[in-house]
Amino acid sequence: MKKFLTSFIICFVAITTLAQNRAEIIVSYESSFPTKHGKIQTLKMSLLASSTEAKYFNDISLWVDSLKSTPEGKAKYTEIIRKTCMTVEPDGSVSFDMRKGPTKNTHSFVFTNLAEDNLTHYNKFGEELGYYKEPLAEMQWNIIEDSTANIVGYDCVMAETDYHGRHWKAWFTPEIPVPFGPWKLHGLPGLILKAEANGNFLFVATGLESTDRIMTPMYMQDEYSKVNRKDALKNAEYFNNNQESILRAQGQNVTVLAVDDDGNRIEMPKYDGLLHNIEPDYKMK
Amino acid sequence: MTRIVTYLFLLIVVLNTTAQVNVTGIVIDKENNEPVTGASVIVKGADGKIKKFTTSKIDGDFTMSLPSITDCRLEVSMMSFAKKIIPLDSVSFPITIYLEPGTTLLKEVTVKADRIREQGDTITYNVGTFAQQQDRSIGDVLKRMPGISVESSGKIQYQGEDINKFYIEGSDLLGGKYGIATNGINHEDVGAVEVMENHQPMQVLAGISFSDKAAINLKLKNKSKATWTFHGDAGGGYSWLPDGAIWDGELFAMAVMPKFQNITTLKTNNIGEDLSSQATDFFASRRGTDLSRYVGVSLPGVPNLNRKRTLFNRSALVSTNSLWKFGRGEFKTQIDYSFNRVTADVANITTYFLNEGDRVITENQNGVDRSHSLSGKFIYELNQKTAFINNTLKTNIDWDDVRLGVTGSLPNDQTASLPDYYVANDFKLIKRFNGKHLVTFKSVNEWESLPQTLSVTMNDRFMHQNVKDHAFKTDESAAYAFSLNGITISLEGGIKGYLRSLDTKLPEIPEEIPGTTTNVMNTNYFTVYVTPKFEYWLNRVNFTLNAPLSFANYTFDKALANRSEIYFSPSLNMNWKPNNRLSMSVSGGTGRSPMDLSLIQPGYVMTNYRSFRSGVDDFYNSTSQRVSARISYKHTRQGLFANAFVMQSWRHNPYTLAQQLYGNYVVYSYTSAKSNGQTLIANGNIGKTLDFMQGSANINGSYSRTESHLISENSSVNSIGTSWTAGLKINGYPIRWVSFDYRFAFSSNRLAMNSINASWLGRVENELLINIIPHKKWEWHISGEHYRNEITTDQFKNVFLLDTKLIYKLTKRLELSALLNNIFNQRTYNYTTYNQLTSFESQRWLRGREMLISISLRK
Repeated sequence: MKKFLTSFIICFVAITTLAQNRAEIIVSYESSFPTKHGKIQTLKMSLLASSTEAKYFNDISLWVDSLKSTPEGKAKYTEIIRKTCMTVEPDGSVSFDMRKGPTKNTHSFVFTNLAEDNLTHYNKFGEELGYYKEPLAEMQWNIIEDSTANIVGYDCVMAETDYHGRHWKAWFTPEIPVPFGPWKLHGLPGLILKAEANGNFLFVATGLESTDRIMTPMYMQDEYSKVNRKDALKNAEYFNNNQESILRAQGQNVTVLAVDDDGNRIEMPKYDGLLHNIEPDYKMK
Repeated sequence: MTRIVTYLFLLIVVLNTTAQVNVTGIVIDKENNEPVTGASVIVKGADGKIKKFTTSKIDGDFTMSLPSITDCRLEVSMMSFAKKIIPLDSVSFPITIYLEPGTTLLKEVTVKADRIREQGDTITYNVGTFAQQQDRSIGDVLKRMPGISVESSGKIQYQGEDINKFYIEGSDLLGGKYGIATNGINHEDVGAVEVMENHQPMQVLAGISFSDKAAINLKLKNKSKATWTFHGDAGGGYSWLPDGAIWDGELFAMAVMPKFQNITTLKTNNIGEDLSSQATDFFASRRGTDLSRYVGVSLPGVPNLNRKRTLFNRSALVSTNSLWKFGRGEFKTQIDYSFNRVTADVANITTYFLNEGDRVITENQNGVDRSHSLSGKFIYELNQKTAFINNTLKTNIDWDDVRLGVTGSLPNDQTASLPDYYVANDFKLIKRFNGKHLVTFKSVNEWESLPQTLSVTMNDRFMHQNVKDHAFKTDESAAYAFSLNGITISLEGGIKGYLRSLDTKLPEIPEEIPGTTTNVMNTNYFTVYVTPKFEYWLNRVNFTLNAPLSFANYTFDKALANRSEIYFSPSLNMNWKPNNRLSMSVSGGTGRSPMDLSLIQPGYVMTNYRSFRSGVDDFYNSTSQRVSARISYKHTRQGLFANAFVMQSWRHNPYTLAQQLYGNYVVYSYTSAKSNGQTLIANGNIGKTLDFMQGSANINGSYSRTESHLISENSSVNSIGTSWTAGLKINGYPIRWVSFDYRFAFSSNRLAMNSINASWLGRVENELLINIIPHKKWEWHISGEHYRNEITTDQFKNVFLLDTKLIYKLTKRLELSALLNNIFNQRTYNYTTYNQLTSFESQRWLRGREMLISISLRK
């Protein structure tokens, strides 16, 4: 009984602390990665961090999710999309250009929690929304003291690790003692301000401020199902390369086109995890 | 050879492993003795390089193993704590490291994220979309935001309830005096207004105690931060009534910096704007000294008209408010001085139609009221997740001198001197342990002196009333609260001590009035009290039960018999929030309470030239009950906000107010008859944004009914006052260069005595403001006010007042304006009422036509 009560209290305390957790620092990053079209895509990402937890996200994605999580917000979002993306042609036909409106460019959210000793990654894998948890010990770094850099005004020390199929170099600053960084990168004695792998997967901090923003938990968690990371990545690659046929198989009459910069139709380039995925270990034996 | 090398190598490795040093320990927060998770723990070598690192785990402990720790040092750091450096040479493990609060100074570089924020409990209004051309202060803009209403004093309500905090960039500079900001801050300095619902201002109570109040935070534009902003107006002109020069000036300075905030304002005018209300503390609770004035001499006013139309004043206000942040605490000072000189004139003419010829009685009243008020507040506050400390030292000195002369049937001259001296210190400490235990300690000490003198010269006779009234109150209490599984239980207990002495003298009294005219009373008490409070959260329902119980001992210094009493007055409140749109609450309470001690006053006190008052000569208790319900609904996307409130209360007193006429004098006293009273209040409000013209509409209504019991001329009178109001407000931009603001208000009331109903008297008020912007440099306002006041049944008094103002914006920072108020020069508010035998004519003055030229500058 006593044990039960103790665990109950701990659980309650954990819930209350979770419910009111505020970040102490916000960092903006530019995240770049290669696409199957042979280009480098760059996204603006944010990291909210306290000493014990961190949340990595895209502001627009977070805003879209926060809106969609309530019925009235959902309606408001639909209205915003209609206003920004919809064009009514003179003949009355309607077309949508989703690039014009505030739509999600990434579905990736990473919640890192020291107290639970794990991180949770939410993402869209192909068509499916999923999440998985990962113990924090999976990432172990070697500090290379002699290699330093100055990023957004902070002196940084370099560290290296091999993680899920890529060799990462990261620059962290001991001046900001939080063990977090962009994406799933964590576990250094200071905030990670820059990280790169293979030269073309890159995260660079562009700004940082102190904050007291509440670190809200993931919106619409119920819509995400638990996945196995490697299987989910395999499925995503398959979906990416067979999008049209998968959608058609479900009875949707869709044509997926690829165009070059001049708008000419080209052959759909192939997605190859070894080149395009940040975690290619699912393709390695 | 290779084999030997391998062996050698293995040996070294083995030696090395055996020589490993385990660096272990625990990191503790020195402030609350709790383990710290997530602290960065680094072992650095003599060369300053990182040899090993880790972070402290959930119970604050860490462990690392190193080959050697010679000349090494341990560095423990964490955000918001000071870094700790410990040389490891002579340290035994496990080591305990205490972290002390400190600031991690960030070299901030602006975050380059998309400026879109998630939706939550905070509603953000973009100031730009609500502001109209004629708006000056942020208060003008707040009024237009659905769900928010602003009184002319600057007081803000959200969804019909007073807000509980007003922040500027997250700092509470002004406390309850935020009217200075609502009326002072230029809306162009504000980027966004955030409304935080269910705002719990004390971080230490977050998640433990529920607050159903909202707070407002002004987010300034970047250009207005970290610098001083100024704006000022200076205007001068001529007025037709009072005949002479007029002025209106204001200087407002604000600095909002990371470690320092200041708002200083200077205002003066004689154009009818009462400034003393602009430094009112809206959060001020009733003074515990519980003194109230016996002498009541006040200037006559003009009923049912905007006060600005009838106030003949000279006013000045200086207010300076500063906030300094250091460490985790902040220190605030708020100093205000105001001066107000008001004059009033009234003429009443009563004509008696008599057979032997009409008899005319005139009564003129004219008076001057000069008041000075000086107040200072010094606050230290520490607001953290684990501790909250607030010490507030406040002092208030008022001087109020009134002179009122009456000519006519009872010619007299009254002069009253009514100063008020008040000093108080409030201390509050809340500490949170292990996340769920709360301990609060409060100490409130107040002292007040309220001397009053009233001199009346009448018919060569002189009467002088002298009152000395002092009180000291101390309230020391401690409270403990803990929270478990959604139930918060708190217990407050304490002692109260109260010492009051009253000394009144009235050497001469009209001989018609029987009774004594001196009072020498000491009304003291000592109370021990406990207040258990239960708060329970179930899904989206919050229950709060308050059950205060007290034991009090009253002593009256032998004037009355000492008394010991027990009081118990429980109340229950339930709040249900099924979703983010709807919120409902019901509450009720019952109890027994001691009487107002200032009523223990057996001898007469002259309150003005024709009324005398005495109180009771014994100590009594009264009982009361109340029930109330509130509902509010909001639909942010559709811009729809609605709320309704209803309350019924009952009160039972063992004494009754009696009114008796002796010649020309009215005497009030209390008899020991039982009296019951009850009050019903209901009100509602619906607001909606009108997107098609960037405007909003608001409908409100209220009803109240008060039943009370008194004795008049030895007969029992049951009086019922009923009143109801209805109002409409609508504003918008029907075309791009024209905006309007329209207000309509209707009210009606009736008094019934012993079931004989007097007739309903109604009153209608219309106000329209049209603002035309023909060119971006020019602005033209035209406003009209119409009043239709029912003086007696079916007899109405109509007043129509028209104003206009022309503004020319020379540059972004310099503005010239010309104002013409009361164009038709309506100078009087006269009315006459007739009955079969008499006519009664009342003459009151309005501010006449006035012309004012102003220049406004802002930085």
